[in-house]
Amino acid sequence: MSLSAVRDEPAPTAAERVSDAARLTVPYLLVVPGLLFVLGVLGYAVAGGFWLSLHETDMFMAKTFVGLQNYIDVFNDPRFQSSLWRTIVFVIMSIVLGIMMSMIFALTLYHVGFGKRFFRGMSLVPYFVSGIAAAIMFRFVFTTSGGFVNQVLSVLGLHQPSWLGDPVLAFIVAVLANCWFMVPFATLILLGGLQTVDRDIYDAATIDGAGAVQTFFKITIPMIKPMLGVSLIWVSYISFSTFDIILALTAGGPQRATEVVSMYMYQLAFLQLDFGQGAVLMVVLLTFNTVLSLVYIYYFILADRRHGREL
Amino acid sequence: MAEGYVEYRGLKKSFGATPILHGIDLKIDEGAFVVLVGPSGCGKSTLLRMTAGLEGVTEGQIRIAGNVVNRVHASKRGIAMVFQSYALYPHMSVNENLAFSLKMRKAPLERITDAIKGAAGILQLSPLLERLPAQLSGGQRQRVAMGRALVREPAVFLFDEPLSNLDAKLRVEMRAEIKALHQRLATTTIYVTHDQIEAMTMADTVVVMHDGRIEQVGEPLAIYDRPENLFVADFLGSPAMNLLDGKVVATDFADQPRAVEVTDGVLLPIPSEAEAEVGQSVVYGIRPEHVQLVAPDAGEPVTMTLVEPAGWETHLHADLKGISLRILSVERVGAKPGDKAAILIDPERVHLFDRATGRRL
Repeated sequence: MSLSAVRDEPAPTAAERVSDAARLTVPYLLVVPGLLFVLGVLGYAVAGGFWLSLHETDMFMAKTFVGLQNYIDVFNDPRFQSSLWRTIVFVIMSIVLGIMMSMIFALTLYHVGFGKRFFRGMSLVPYFVSGIAAAIMFRFVFTTSGGFVNQVLSVLGLHQPSWLGDPVLAFIVAVLANCWFMVPFATLILLGGLQTVDRDIYDAATIDGAGAVQTFFKITIPMIKPMLGVSLIWVSYISFSTFDIILALTAGGPQRATEVVSMYMYQLAFLQLDFGQGAVLMVVLLTFNTVLSLVYIYYFILADRRHGREL
Repeated sequence: MAEGYVEYRGLKKSFGATPILHGIDLKIDEGAFVVLVGPSGCGKSTLLRMTAGLEGVTEGQIRIAGNVVNRVHASKRGIAMVFQSYALYPHMSVNENLAFSLKMRKAPLERITDAIKGAAGILQLSPLLERLPAQLSGGQRQRVAMGRALVREPAVFLFDEPLSNLDAKLRVEMRAEIKALHQRLATTTIYVTHDQIEAMTMADTVVVMHDGRIEQVGEPLAIYDRPENLFVADFLGSPAMNLLDGKVVATDFADQPRAVEVTDGVLLPIPSEAEAEVGQSVVYGIRPEHVQLVAPDAGEPVTMTLVEPAGWETHLHADLKGISLRILSVERVGAKPGDKAAILIDPERVHLFDRATGRRL
């Protein structure tokens, strides 16, 4: 039999051709509005901010191109340098504390049997409270005279420090408030990760003689690595960009002890009306966030041995 | 009475108020290959997990090598388990998977290396040692799971439906591999499956379970040939045994004084030794392969309703005065639906059960 004998399929009709073309293009067309929206809002703002950082502006928003002068000025500004270091310490403390708390909560919620849905729902509540409201609640809790913590300390007959007046303590309270706000979502991500682990694997580890600690470090952590990466991105991003909580809690004080980069950016751009230098700080924050996120994505998500990928 | 190597005494299990096992008594000899078989929800996996130490005991005793292990930790029972999902550690290479239990036991490096080498040799895993589970085929993962059990040098192997996730061809291959492994190591093995072919082909002893109880224990062919009750009769065998409701009646034939009337005017022969009284309501059981097809006037007339040629055998469905019968022929039968034929039944192949109790008569 010659090959031509099988070629009796009729040529596609015009309608079939249109429908084939539609099948290929429609998915892309459906993505376009979302893409435009993200690019329009985010892309425009980022590009605009970067453009602004190369200019000097006066109070009437008249721009003069100054090249990298704003960057040179900002990096030589001791107030920026100390706010950057403060931010890095703030982020590290928030990551360590935040991830530890999220992990503990996620493990607790994973194992809780009675009232599972109630507790899972409740654990998300802080996330729905705005940063400002959270900060005001923390002020009530940590106010020197009449604050909840100091009342407890006074009942116990202990020293009652000035939480928001002492530079070190105020910094710690800011970290706590930040964690309080961001931990629920990170908990949810980690809980999702824990739930994907096949229970048989834990059973196998039990039979293999792994104790709770060994199981956690040798099985659980590697198994939820991608989720850990996602929650790290979340926690780092929120901590680097934190603004509302600090503004309402300490407004950068006392003695600039809690003035992180985003606070200083607000100070420069909206109080001193130096938008160019404010924009430089935006670029700095964006760079930190992007680089850190890429590192997390590389180490925690791309290099996932579970899918047969190694570094 | 001699003790079994693995022994259950009055073993009960409840999850909350729901009883799962109602009192299991069973002795498993050292070196035996025992298959627990039954439909889903019969408690076979629970029994296995209790043996492994992954589930607690509600009442009764589990003994391994003479010791009660009810409260002994899973890792100290001398067992190794192969899971249906393989349960390999996905972030560890084959080598690391095999080494894990020994590392947890703080075994010396030399001993770990030797154990891995041994297991890898037996299961042909040597070229795969550096791979990750995601880079293995289903059959290879299954072998790694067995290797992980092997390196522990357990006193008892536990298999929980290990072949369910494999395709049909691989399942047949792995079945033979597991059996060969058992013949080589002679380690006591408890194997859970819902697949009766696995149960029949692999076991020294089959334990048929149903609703948290043991229905029958015995050698595979013995159980197949003499099921003790209706459940076992119905569960083992594919296609399943024909089970026909009927009543014992007296006949005029000297050599067959009793028969079972399964429908108006249709009398089927029964074994002479069957302890059934005239008038008793019974279930008449005959395996499809024991229904003989003969020429239309040489037996009880039937009409063919469905013919399923499988190649190596033919499955037929026939209508016997309103009763549907399954017939299995090892020959190729050229019948078509609507064809007339007749059947003959050898009374010695008939299984008779009391309809009220389900027990064999």
